[in-house]
Amino acid sequence: MKVERLLEEWVRGLPLRRAPATLELRVCRELQRRAARPWWFRGFSQWPAGARISFVAVCGAIIGLTFGDGAWTMLVRTLSDAAAAPLSWTHTTVAVIESVCEVAALLMRVIPATWIYGGLTAGAVLYAALFGLSAAAYRALYLQPSLAGDRQ
Amino acid sequence: MTFMRAYQDMVFSTAARLMGNDAGAEDIAQEVFLRAYEHFSHLRSSPAAGGWLKTVATNLTLNHLTRYRKRWRLFSELKQHEGDEPSAAAEFEWEVPDTLLADLDADQRRQLIDGALRQLPQHQRVALVLYHFEELSYQDIADKLHVSLAKVKTDIRRGRGALLPLLAAGGLGRG
Repeated sequence: MKVERLLEEWVRGLPLRRAPATLELRVCRELQRRAARPWWFRGFSQWPAGARISFVAVCGAIIGLTFGDGAWTMLVRTLSDAAAAPLSWTHTTVAVIESVCEVAALLMRVIPATWIYGGLTAGAVLYAALFGLSAAAYRALYLQPSLAGDRQ
Repeated sequence: MTFMRAYQDMVFSTAARLMGNDAGAEDIAQEVFLRAYEHFSHLRSSPAAGGWLKTVATNLTLNHLTRYRKRWRLFSELKQHEGDEPSAAAEFEWEVPDTLLADLDADQRRQLIDGALRQLPQHQRVALVLYHFEELSYQDIADKLHVSLAKVKTDIRRGRGALLPLLAAGGLGRG
């Protein structure tokens, strides 16, 4: 008899496997865990009506300000003026970053281009070598031959 | 919970045959019932609930296998080809005696077939299960797996060829 027909006969009326006893408990626990989550962790459709209305109103306001006639710019300027005093330390930080960038640019001009390309090539070769070693180690030490079919 | 008890064996069996391992199948079955809970008002009285659950279980398992395959492909692709070799030799249609597995009852036959399916490479197992258990056509399987029709036919043919010696060995061992 052909294998196809035989398989069809064997499969017909085959009993189902019993689900593990733990499945029902797992589903119940997960449902309880999801029910206990605060509303802002759930989907938008499950938010309280007030929160949904507020969210839509805020989004609408942002869109209005963005496309409004200069209103957004005015709001940002007002906010940045208000925040300028407590954020004075940012000037120092910006100055430090600028200095570091200038030093880097100076070094780039001083160091010959061949050194830079050589360094980049060496880095790439080292990266490839480490990657190959770790792949070989994974295949030799971790991947089991019996799981070959599952790990495609 | 009555709803879940009515369908949990079917959902678990569908996922386990496709996945080839019970732990993964249990995760999939859990996710299926969590999704069913979200649509429970429709499913509770629907005569199509079983079909809905089976379709979701099949699709979630295939999605999981696709993600898993992509994740591990980098390191294990060569291994896959090594795993293909034994079954590649079995491309022709086998003629088998009608009496094979005839002595086994349905439960023993189920155990034997499930055990043999687990030993097949994933692409052959999935194609075989979709064809013989889910009764999908070759074209439907190709569409679901996003592979060519020719690959589906080859996988099923080779899968049958690889399955038969496993079943014969198991059947003879038991019979």
